[in-house]
Amino acid sequence: MAAVIAFEDVSVAYGGRDGLRDVTLEVAAGELCVLVGPSGAGKSTLLRLVNRLVAPSAGVVRVRGEDIARNDPIRLRRSIGYAIQSVGLFPHRTVGENIATVPRLLGWPEPRIAARIPELLALLRLDADLAARYPHTLSGGQAQRVGLARALAADPDLLLMDEPFGAADPILRRALRAELRRIHAVTGKTILLVTHDAEEALELATRVVVLRDGRVLAAGAPLELIRAADPFVRDLLGGDAPALRRLGLVTVAAAMAATAAPAGAPVIAPGASLSDALSLMLETRAEVLAVGEDGRTLGSLGLPGLLRAVPMPAPA
Amino acid sequence: MGTHPAVPARGLEPALALLALLGLYAFGWLAVAPNRLVSGTSLGAAAALGWGVHAIAVLILGAVALRRWRPGLAPALPVMLLVLAAALALGLTGDAARHQLQELAPAARAMLGFGFWLGIAALLVLLAEVLRGASIWLRVLAPLLLLGIAALAGWLGLLDRLSLVVEYQARAETLHAALLRHLALAGAALGIVLAFGIPLGWWAFRSPRAEAALAAVLNAVQIVPALALFGALIPLLSALLRAVPALRGLGVEAIGTAPTLIGTAAYAGLPLWRGILAGLAAAPREVVGVAEAMGMDEARVTRAVRLPLGLPVFLAALRVAAVQCIGLVALGGLIGAGGLGALVLEGMAQFATDLILLGALPIVALALLADGALRLLEGRLAPWRR
Repeated sequence: MAAVIAFEDVSVAYGGRDGLRDVTLEVAAGELCVLVGPSGAGKSTLLRLVNRLVAPSAGVVRVRGEDIARNDPIRLRRSIGYAIQSVGLFPHRTVGENIATVPRLLGWPEPRIAARIPELLALLRLDADLAARYPHTLSGGQAQRVGLARALAADPDLLLMDEPFGAADPILRRALRAELRRIHAVTGKTILLVTHDAEEALELATRVVVLRDGRVLAAGAPLELIRAADPFVRDLLGGDAPALRRLGLVTVAAAMAATAAPAGAPVIAPGASLSDALSLMLETRAEVLAVGEDGRTLGSLGLPGLLRAVPMPAPA
Repeated sequence: MGTHPAVPARGLEPALALLALLGLYAFGWLAVAPNRLVSGTSLGAAAALGWGVHAIAVLILGAVALRRWRPGLAPALPVMLLVLAAALALGLTGDAARHQLQELAPAARAMLGFGFWLGIAALLVLLAEVLRGASIWLRVLAPLLLLGIAALAGWLGLLDRLSLVVEYQARAETLHAALLRHLALAGAALGIVLAFGIPLGWWAFRSPRAEAALAAVLNAVQIVPALALFGALIPLLSALLRAVPALRGLGVEAIGTAPTLIGTAAYAGLPLWRGILAGLAAAPREVVGVAEAMGMDEARVTRAVRLPLGLPVFLAALRVAAVQCIGLVALGGLIGAGGLGALVLEGMAQFATDLILLGALPIVALALLADGALRLLEGRLAPWRR
């Protein structure tokens, strides 16, 4: 797959925190690439290089194959969706006008804009009536969704998200993450997202990039990285309970057996995670679960199967 | 600067009512004198107005009591009680003047006393206080109603024997000319303030160095007493005119209009400039950041984000500058610019209290009118904040 974003030996000299040193990284089309690391690691700087909010002191940033330093930054920015932690909705414009921002900048005809607004509200599962309201009347969750709708408005192939759910409470965060995963699956957009929350990174990403002190420490699929050799990466991503984190990354469908479960076994959906499955076993005291969906039985998952699905690295 | 809280200060309304009652019962209401230049004998409201004085007091107390013990009540009823109290005070006073002067020589005057001014002022401030929480139509209607009643009383001749009205009738033409002159001066000064304040505000917004320098200059102007500044402008301007005689051809003179406009604009410059600067900076940083990140260039960020979000601040600054211009232009009367200030000055020279009032009251009324109108506009133009 072609790289939508490519950083080639990019450095940003800030003198201390938030700088970058010789970063080389590619983000392929359709990836949901999550930049994670402690604060000051340079995650946001790396993200802001992509739409030229930050200029590199050395190296080249390519977007869709073109060196962005040679092109008009305004046109570049209009072609990329952008969402941030504080949402930054325009307080003096209605929800509909907020969403219409980039389409207007791009000079879309009004009927097309008018048709696009309800489409996006529906995509974010927001009430169509919201379009006429001002941002201060929205709940936190609604505002976050409107921010995402605004970023998606002109149907950009690339989306930049800087701690997009950072200001939300834990319950809302979980809902918004599920929403983002769904939208990523539906639209197939390339998304570059910054977070300092390792759990969020593992849950959302198709690829995780770990940054520390302005360098890329590791990059790869979540399951790969969680058993990475680097102790910093392992600690950051695994936290206090790396085994449980890993259970959360594997679906029941990937670990189940085709054999039927004993009658009366509790039922779990194939899309649920193994940590959900373990939790259900503990709650119901059942060692074998039936895997099923919409009344159909697909197979079974026992405790041994669950253990086999998550091999642990040999103790160091 | 900024918006005022809609919540009335507790205890303010009873205190204003108390002041109004003091005006009614504790001080002289009407003074009867053999001519316009002596102070004459003072009458209390009870003596001048008779039993009507208690009716006025009851109306005021009733309005305040309703506000106090029926806080859920719509303000329309207390507003009407207060308007009625003011109308009654005005009408009864005019009638009392006629009655007192009946047997006296035509030169005799019935002058409004301190009690009247205290009572009316407290009553009007109280009315404004109650109107703050009222709907927009009531806030427009109540002052119009009050003006209408006063105009009707004047038209019916009810007030004809009050010294102030006699003075007005003797000088109506002068007063009208002075009023227009005052408005023209204030408008021109405001125009100058805007012409300089807006670009200087933008400059300061773009450059912190310019901001520091401009703040120093404009603050320094505020330190000089206004009167001293106006006076000092005369020799400065005449020196300038000697150096550049061509300016005379443009109508610039060392006294009168030119120093008045320059002095007023220099004073009102600071609040306007501050407001322009604050308004430009009013848009939250992250909102401006998002606008840029979504592909707005600098001009569009200013047009689409900074200006609309700064609008309430700009209007507040305009309001302060307009009120200052109306007030400061009055000092121009001292240096030959004419306007209502000149009437006040003439009244002071003659020790004629009513002439002073004839100049001063319209200045106050103009300032209040400009303030009220721009406040209403501020509320209208920021629908996103409601």
